[in-house]
Amino acid sequence: MIEAFNISKSFSSGSGVRQVLSDISFKLEKGKLLTIIGKSGSGKTTILNCLGGLDIPDSGRINCFGTDINSLSEKKRCLFQRKNLGFIFQSGNLLSYLTVSENIVFPLVLNNETKKFREKRLESLLEILELKLFASAMPHELSGGQAQRAAFARAIAHSPQLLLADEPTASLDTQTGLDLIKLMHRVGRENRTTIVVSTHDREIIQCADKIIHLTDGKITGE
Amino acid sequence: MNPIFWIKTASLFLTRSKRATLTLGLMISFAVGTLVFITAIAIGINDSMIRNSTGLYSGHITGFNLPETIAQETLLVDGVSNVLQRFQIPGSLHYRGKNEMITLIAVTPDQEVKKTALWKKIINGRYISDNASEILINYDTAKILDIHPGETAVFRSDSSVYSFAVAGIFKTGVDRVDNGIAFCPVSTLSNLPASWDGAVFLDSGADLRAVMAAYTRKGLKSPYLKTWEELMPDLTQLIELNRISMGFVLILVLGVVSFGTACAFAIFIISNIREYGIMKAMGVTPKENAVLIFSEVILMNLVASFAGTLAGFLAVFITSKTGIDLSTFTSHNQYFVVSGLIIPRLTIVSLFLPSVLALSFCLFAAVWPTWIVLRQRTAEILRNI
Repeated sequence: MIEAFNISKSFSSGSGVRQVLSDISFKLEKGKLLTIIGKSGSGKTTILNCLGGLDIPDSGRINCFGTDINSLSEKKRCLFQRKNLGFIFQSGNLLSYLTVSENIVFPLVLNNETKKFREKRLESLLEILELKLFASAMPHELSGGQAQRAAFARAIAHSPQLLLADEPTASLDTQTGLDLIKLMHRVGRENRTTIVVSTHDREIIQCADKIIHLTDGKITGE
Repeated sequence: MNPIFWIKTASLFLTRSKRATLTLGLMISFAVGTLVFITAIAIGINDSMIRNSTGLYSGHITGFNLPETIAQETLLVDGVSNVLQRFQIPGSLHYRGKNEMITLIAVTPDQEVKKTALWKKIINGRYISDNASEILINYDTAKILDIHPGETAVFRSDSSVYSFAVAGIFKTGVDRVDNGIAFCPVSTLSNLPASWDGAVFLDSGADLRAVMAAYTRKGLKSPYLKTWEELMPDLTQLIELNRISMGFVLILVLGVVSFGTACAFAIFIISNIREYGIMKAMGVTPKENAVLIFSEVILMNLVASFAGTLAGFLAVFITSKTGIDLSTFTSHNQYFVVSGLIIPRLTIVSLFLPSVLALSFCLFAAVWPTWIVLRQRTAEILRNI
């Protein structure tokens, strides 16, 4: 279960303080898919960052599978993230100095998985995501769709409980985006992974178990 | 934390960001190589000054008024290659009604020619020969007496009178040698003083202090024996000054290079900040990120320093074959009285100190960009991707 209680977040800039999230609360059952929709600047990415512990809300509390992530020390939060979370960003997901295989294996090494397990898992993911031919490729040698599939493989390699995806299809063409969404949905269902996606994509919205409409940092519909 | 994984990742980061790594590596290599070479030249200059100053006449250790109970062989301890025996007889030199006070030094010409360079400073005539009643006089005395090679002068001491043909006239430019000293073969004197002076020459690389310690153990040191450091405090200071100057150069050059490296590292790391941001999002701890960055710095330094040290070593090796002739700049300098040839020389410290300093400076320089990566929030980094 993911629970957010009265989350607020503001940013200071040259033009003053900007309230990005105001009193956001919601709950999400394990294994469900939540989509957050809203215009650009409505606070979608900030919610994802707060849920993943990449940013700390000014007030409120986030409970991730029984853990209040904001109360954790930095080191414990990192260890929580590496074990329980997977991220996909809009673009530029992969570590550019590592090959596709090295990128996918990275979270498995962080989680101290055995070499045998890593190899088996890598082979399986390369098969599922149709990346076998690109295992040794560098990120800049991949197309947008291949790069997002590789990023997805890395995000789910360590079987996280929560997958956070920030507009994962935004930089892809319609068909490639659709393929990725189907894949994400299928794998999420199979592994009972809780998925939170910020998106404008109708296909994702149609797959969602829960939808949150965000306007100027406030929930305007569920 | 798995250190091998982070070192391997650091090496992948470095090898796959070729241009940045090459530029930074070249900068470090060039600085280290240059410093190895400059240090070797500084050591070569010190060596040359010592060689010139001790090799002209006095030796590395000079014995004064040694009693005849101390034999020449007694001074031959480990590290000593030769001991030259000399006898001082104060007196006056007379020629055609003119006279000049001198100290006549009786020497063994063959040995002197082999071990000292005074014969190279003869400006007229030649060096004295064994068993010949000849005298080698300094330029000032020759000028006062108006005497030339081939002419005969009379030397009078308290107890003896000798006639010597002038074999040659020398001028070294070193006051303590040029003032009132003349040389004759010891074999031509019938009446030698009871005490003698000694010039002790050490083997190449022998430790002066170890030899003096050996003399002390034999009960010889004080007041008879003095090292060149004691006899030539000006040279000792000059060498110390040279070492200190070299230290400043090392620190300044590496300081400038490390500042440049710090900026370059900062640019290198900041331009790759998305990588660190993604890793932070994946749960890489600040400690692991710091290990990764410092591993990059250390790996790059090890390779670049090795290349720089090798280049410096080769440069020293090549130039030491022929030496660097600085005679044009040293012709009026008493510390280069025999030769202005500098032979660059490496010591263990001079070979590895630049690398150690470069690594220390670069580690210090890496603190700043590491701090930038660690203090920036993951969300802020990712917002800029």
